[in-house]
Amino acid sequence: MIEWTEQQQMIRGMMRDFIEKEIQPHIDDLEYNGMPPYDLMRKMFATFGIDQMATANFDRQIAREEAGDTPDKSNDDKTTEERPLTDAALDAVAMPMLLPMELSRVCPGLVTALGVSVGLTANAIMAKGSLAQKKRFARDLLTFEKVGAWAITEPNSGSDAFGSMKSTARRDGEGGYILNGNKTFITNGPFADTIVFICRLEDPEREQQDWKIVSFILDSGMPGLDQSAPFKKMGIGSSPTGELFLSDVKVGPDRLMGESEDGYGRSGAKSTFSAERSGVAAMALGLVERSLEMSLEYANTRVQFGQPIGNYQLVQLKLAKMEVARLNIENMIFRYIETRARGKDLTLAEASAMKLYSAQAAMEVTSEAVQIFGGAGYMRESRVEQLMRDSKILQIYAGTDEMQVVAMARDLMGRS
Amino acid sequence: MKVLVAVKRVVDYNVKVRAKADGSDVDLNNVKMAINPFCEIAVEEAVRLKEAGTATEVIAVSIGDKACQEQIRTALALGADRGIQVETESNVEPLVVAKLLKGVVDKEQPQLVILGKQSIDGDNNQTGQMLGALANMPQGTFASEVVVDGDKLNVTREVDGGLQTVSLNLPAVVTTDLRLNEPRYASLPNIMKAKKKQLDVYSPADLGVEVTSHLTQVSVEPPAERQAGIKVEDVDQLVDKLKNEAKVIS
Ligand SMILES: Cc1cc2nc3c(=O)[nH]c(=O)nc-3n(C[C@H](O)[C@H](O)[C@H](O)COP(=O)(O)OP(=O)(O)OC[C@H]3O[C@@H](n4cnc5c(N)ncnc54)[C@H](O)[C@@H]3O)c2cc1C
Ligand SMILES: Cc1cc2nc3c(=O)[nH]c(=O)nc-3n(C[C@H](O)[C@H](O)[C@H](O)COP(=O)(O)OP(=O)(O)OC[C@H]3O[C@@H](n4cnc5c(N)ncnc54)[C@H](O)[C@@H]3O)c2cc1C
Repeated sequence: MIEWTEQQQMIRGMMRDFIEKEIQPHIDDLEYNGMPPYDLMRKMFATFGIDQMATANFDRQIAREEAGDTPDKSNDDKTTEERPLTDAALDAVAMPMLLPMELSRVCPGLVTALGVSVGLTANAIMAKGSLAQKKRFARDLLTFEKVGAWAITEPNSGSDAFGSMKSTARRDGEGGYILNGNKTFITNGPFADTIVFICRLEDPEREQQDWKIVSFILDSGMPGLDQSAPFKKMGIGSSPTGELFLSDVKVGPDRLMGESEDGYGRSGAKSTFSAERSGVAAMALGLVERSLEMSLEYANTRVQFGQPIGNYQLVQLKLAKMEVARLNIENMIFRYIETRARGKDLTLAEASAMKLYSAQAAMEVTSEAVQIFGGAGYMRESRVEQLMRDSKILQIYAGTDEMQVVAMARDLMGRS
Repeated sequence: MKVLVAVKRVVDYNVKVRAKADGSDVDLNNVKMAINPFCEIAVEEAVRLKEAGTATEVIAVSIGDKACQEQIRTALALGADRGIQVETESNVEPLVVAKLLKGVVDKEQPQLVILGKQSIDGDNNQTGQMLGALANMPQGTFASEVVVDGDKLNVTREVDGGLQTVSLNLPAVVTTDLRLNEPRYASLPNIMKAKKKQLDVYSPADLGVEVTSHLTQVSVEPPAERQAGIKVEDVDQLVDKLKNEAKVIS
C-alpha cells in the first residue's frame, strides 16, 4: 500500500466536510467551555452509518460465537498464519483509521474520547469478556450509545502500571468481590456509563506484587463508585479526563471480565496498549497534514520584507521538514495496514517505533507551524496553537516516549 | 420514472484559486476537486424522488476526462443507481456539454433531467437551458421546489421578484438553485456499495456528437485587489467622495 484508495479518499472527504460544518462551529465550547463531546460524535456515527455497521459486525460475531466458534484471538497471537493480501483485508484495517485522522485535523480530543470508549473499553470486552458480558456491555459501547472508560492508571502507578498498582479486589466469600482503589487521568471518567477497572486480586498466600491482575466491568452509579468532575488540562479539552474512587464496591462474579479470575490479566491489558499505538499514529498524521496545509497557505500569503515569507530559506526548511514527517508517518501507517491485512503483527519494536516517531514528529511539526505563523500563531484564533497543545498528549498517553524507547530497546536486544 | 442527473467536477468551493503565472488558465495543480455544489443538490433531489417512490432509476452522468469518475462515484455513493462518463478533455464549453447530454438523453430516454443551475468554476449558467432547447423539452430553471403531479411537474423558481411556479409537461429539464434541498452525507455502507455500481464510458462518437469548440479562452487574471477603505468625517465629505471620487452619484 503506497496511497489511500479512491474510496478511502472519498470517505475522508465526506468526513472532512461533516467535521467542518458540524464540529468546527462548536470547537471553542468543546475545548474550553466543558461541552461534552458525546452527542456530536453520536450525530457523526448516525450520519455515516457507523453505528449500523458496528451493530451488524457485533451481531455477526455474536452469532458465530453462539454457533460455537471461538472469538478472534488475533490481538494477542503474534504467530497467526500469513494470509494473501486482498483489497477487502486492507480496507478492514485502513477504514477505522480514517475517522481518527480526519478528526485530529480539527479536534484530537474527540478521537481520544471516542478511541477510549470504542477502541479500548468495548474492544477489551469483545476480546476478553464472556458472551453474556459482550451482549450486556459491549454492544452499546460499540455504537457509542454508551460511553466507556478503561482505568489502569493510579496516582502512584503510571508508566509502571502493574508494578505499583494498589487497587484491589477481595473475594467476599459468596462468589462475589469487593473492590477498592483510586484511578486517575481516566479518559471519559467523569461521564462514563461503563467502566473497565483493572486491579489486583488479594491473595493472603503471596506478596502483593505477585497478586494476580484481574478486571471488572462496572456501571456508573454503583454504590461506592465516585466519578470526579473533569480536570483542567493543557490540551484536548474536548476529551473529559477525571478520577475514579472506589470504596467497598460490591460486585457479583458476572462483572469479572471473562467471568474467570484468569480472564483479563497482564497480557490482556498489554494487547490493549498495543492497539492504541496505531491510533496515535493516525492522530499524528491528521495533525501533521493540517499543520502543513495551514503553514503552506500562510507562507504563500504572509508578506514581510516585501516578499511572501515562504521565499525565505529558514521558512522553507521548516516546510520541508514537515513534509518529511508527513511522508514518514504515512508510510509507517501503510506498513502497519499492510502487515495487519496479511494477518501478521508489527513487532513490539516496530509498533513502539511508530508510536514514538509519530508523537514526536507531531509535536515538532505543530510547534513549527506556530512559529511560521509568528505572533498570529500564538493566538487562539489561528487554531495552530491548539494543534500544538493537543500534540503533546501523544507523547504521554498510550505509553510515554521514554517507555516506547525502553520497549524498543528490550525487544531489539531480545529481552522481555 | 427514469431520472438523469448531470454532475461536474470542479475546484472545491473552499479553495482559493490562483491564476497560472502565464495567465493561460486557473492553476489546478494540487488543488482539491469536488462535485459542483449545485450538481450535488441535483443528485439529492433525484435520490429523494427515488426514495419517495416517484423515480425508479437515477443515472448520474459526467462529461470530462477520467478524473471525473470520482464525482460520478460520489453521486453513486449518495444514492444514484448507475453512472455514465462521456470521455472528453477536461474543459468543454456549455454548448458541447449540452449536445453530449442530448446524446445521453436520446440513448436513455429519461423523463426528467436535473442539472445544477451553474457550476462554480465557469459560472456560465447555460447548459440546462441549451439542453432544453436541443432536446425540445420544457425547462424549469433555478428551482427551489420540485413536485411531480401525474405527468406534470410543478417547479417553483427563484426569480428576481420572488417565487414563480411553472407547470411543465414531462419529460422536462430542471436546474437547481441553492435552496432546493440540503444534500446528505454519503454513509460508509453506501460509499462501499458505490464501488460495485455500473459505470459506462462513452466517447462523443458513440453518442453521434462531434465536439467542436466555439470559444477560446484568452486569459485568466485574478480580480483587482481592493484598496484599503477610509473613514469619512461627515456626511458632506461622504457625498463629495461619492460624487467626485467614486462617481456613483451625480
Ligand atoms: C489526557 C490523559 C488521558 C489519559 N487517559 C487514560 C485512560 O483513559 N486510562 C488510563 O488508565 N490512563 C490514562 N492516562 C494515564 C496515562 O496513561 C499516564 O499518564 C501515562 O502512562 C504516564 O504515567 P504517569 O502520568 O504516571 O507518569 P510517570 O509514569 O510518573 O512518568 C513521569 C516521567 O518519568 C518517565 N519514566 C517513568 N518510568 C521511566 C523509566 N523506567 N525509564 C525512563 N523514564 C521513565 C516517564 O516517561 C515520564 O516522562 C491518561 C493521561 C492523560 C494525561
Ligand atoms: C503575546 C504577544 C505580545 C506582543 N507584544 C507586543 C508589544 O507589546 N508591542 C509590539 O509592538 N508588538 C508585540 N508583539 C508582536 C511581536 O513582536 C511580533 O509578533 C513578532 O515580532 C513577530 O512578528 P509577526 O507576528 O508579524 O510575524 P512575521 O514577521 O509575520 O513572521 C512570521 C514568520 O516568518 C518568519 N520570517 C519573517 N521574516 C523572515 C525572514 N526575512 N527570514 C526568515 N524568516 C522570516 C518569522 O521568523 C516567523 O517565523 C507581541 C506578540 C505576541 C504574540
